[in-house]
Amino acid sequence: MGRALVLSGAFLLVLIISWLFFLAVGIEPLAAYKIVGEEIFLTKYGWQDLLVKMTPLMFTGLAVALAAQMRQWNIGAEGQFHMGTFAMTWVALHFDGKLPDGMLIVLMLIMAIIGGGLWGSIPGYLKARFGVNEIITSLLLNYVAAAWIDHLLFGAWRDPGSNNFPITREFSTAAQLPNFGNTSIHAGLIIAFIFVLIVAWILWKTQLGFKIRLTGDNPDAARYAGVNIRTLTILVFAASGAIAGLAGFSEVAGIHYRLQQNISIGYGYTGIIVAWLARNHPLGVIFSAFFMSIIFVSAEVLQIEYGLPISMVYLYQGIILFTVLGTEIFTEYRLRITRFLL
Amino acid sequence: MEFFIQILIAAVVMGTPLLFATLGGVISERAGVINLGMEGLMLVGALVAFVVMLNTENYFYAVAAAALASGLVSIIHGVVCLMLRASQIASGLALTFFGTGLSGLFGDKLMGETVEPLSRIPIPGLHAIPVLGPVLFNHDVLVYFSYVCVGLSWWLLYKTRLGLNIRSMGEAPEVCDSLGLSVMAYRFFAVIAGGMLIGIGGAYFPLALTPFWVDGITGGRGWIAVALVIFAFWDPVKALGGAYLFGLALALELRLQILGIDISPYFLKMLPFVLTILVLTLVTIRNNRRGIQVMPAALGKVFFRGEKH
Repeated sequence: MGRALVLSGAFLLVLIISWLFFLAVGIEPLAAYKIVGEEIFLTKYGWQDLLVKMTPLMFTGLAVALAAQMRQWNIGAEGQFHMGTFAMTWVALHFDGKLPDGMLIVLMLIMAIIGGGLWGSIPGYLKARFGVNEIITSLLLNYVAAAWIDHLLFGAWRDPGSNNFPITREFSTAAQLPNFGNTSIHAGLIIAFIFVLIVAWILWKTQLGFKIRLTGDNPDAARYAGVNIRTLTILVFAASGAIAGLAGFSEVAGIHYRLQQNISIGYGYTGIIVAWLARNHPLGVIFSAFFMSIIFVSAEVLQIEYGLPISMVYLYQGIILFTVLGTEIFTEYRLRITRFLL
Repeated sequence: MEFFIQILIAAVVMGTPLLFATLGGVISERAGVINLGMEGLMLVGALVAFVVMLNTENYFYAVAAAALASGLVSIIHGVVCLMLRASQIASGLALTFFGTGLSGLFGDKLMGETVEPLSRIPIPGLHAIPVLGPVLFNHDVLVYFSYVCVGLSWWLLYKTRLGLNIRSMGEAPEVCDSLGLSVMAYRFFAVIAGGMLIGIGGAYFPLALTPFWVDGITGGRGWIAVALVIFAFWDPVKALGGAYLFGLALALELRLQILGIDISPYFLKMLPFVLTILVLTLVTIRNNRRGIQVMPAALGKVFFRGEKH
């Protein structure tokens, strides 16, 4: 209940700040709201787009939430996303037509898990073995991964028939996820739901999950109970990275059918907010991913209608996160206002 | 030799925004407040500096406005994590989102605009010293100002009562509180002062490094600065060395290509980030081995007044 109130408040703040911004750039605010509302909720494409944008956010939110259950910050989902797309594209480009039907896409999925997982295990290993701050290392690796993708797209993997655009050739249909009927919604959404359930099951129904949550709540108690925290840290980071890698898989195999730049428009970073809004609960991720998807699609509508830049999404995300953080004190503690400040 | 000196000059230039940001981070973290919003604050500083420069063509106004704007934005960080006691890490990330969005949104119309970059002013006498002269004393005003800031930060933190109090806030806020010092006020001061320095670091990008506007102009340097604060052991003077070391890595990125060495430019782009991870790991290992605790003891901890510790 408290959370719903806070989210509505955050949403209101976004509307107010947008109002001011629209006025500043000479857009009629009410007209803009009307267009955005209609485009998203009253058209078929709006609903489709909400579910399409929600898919990668579910993966990345789940990835961040899983690590956060152990009180570890994985803010490298963006890079793990990219390394997932790298690994799966390698398979799609090299094994196309050489595998029996259905095998190719499965192999791509596995490779995305491995690519993202290995990339995610780097900050995990450094944290577990040497105690290196995982926030900084996981974040810095995002830039390394992005440069690696650029290296491939501007080099070996560039499609010769692309007029020098940094894109690979289009994958064959065997490397594409099926869509639902005539919509743009693809099977990635189902995979996302499956992984949400898997993670929830692991966290609350298995010993491994108990160890993860125990270590998060009280590392000392976990150590005395015989939990190998080092191994667990690496494992959780690898799993977290693997899920983020799946976001890349679902975007490339479900929408673009090729590797290109800007496949992630900040989905990895948004995963942090999705997880925070869900209080790191896998099932909550479903709802917060949907909520953040509304923000993404709104920004997209504004981009198409008014030519506003898509980076607006980041501003909204900052405002939402600040609002949620700022009100947490009111929802988590019972305050006596008398000694509140200073 | 000539090439070598050129690289060192470039290292100082590339290291300057890192230096400003690291100093800002040091001041804030010495008071016990982590600022992960450096990238966002630098972007705000860069944007404001560029806009003011376009309109006034006055470097002083541009830098002052950048410092002011970043200081104002860091007030949000202060309110959220000091007054409302939220997680400093999450609040810092929100700050990065906020700054990235702000600069992207308002910078969109500025793409392609250019400003006149700061010109070099050799310091009379000093610039004639071999090697050191051209490397350190033939730069623009902001580089000299960064030297001054290093000295000022050091003097402030170690030689003044204010600095002693700031450092104490990062070590034992409950003791300071019992002595009648306002933890809130000192930490706020450090967050805002730090934010202003970080903003000046951002301003250096459009005013000197890339005198035109590109989206995400700071390119992740704010995050390198976050790591540099640790690398510099929370010390303003060591921040100088750290910033120039990473400036060197960034300078190599540009110069190796000119030399005709056949490395993919994208690998060179990775270099500073990989180096940061490597150095951070080595520093952490070293600290673990020697068992020294250089990190401010209360860093990142929420301070609840009147609670037993």
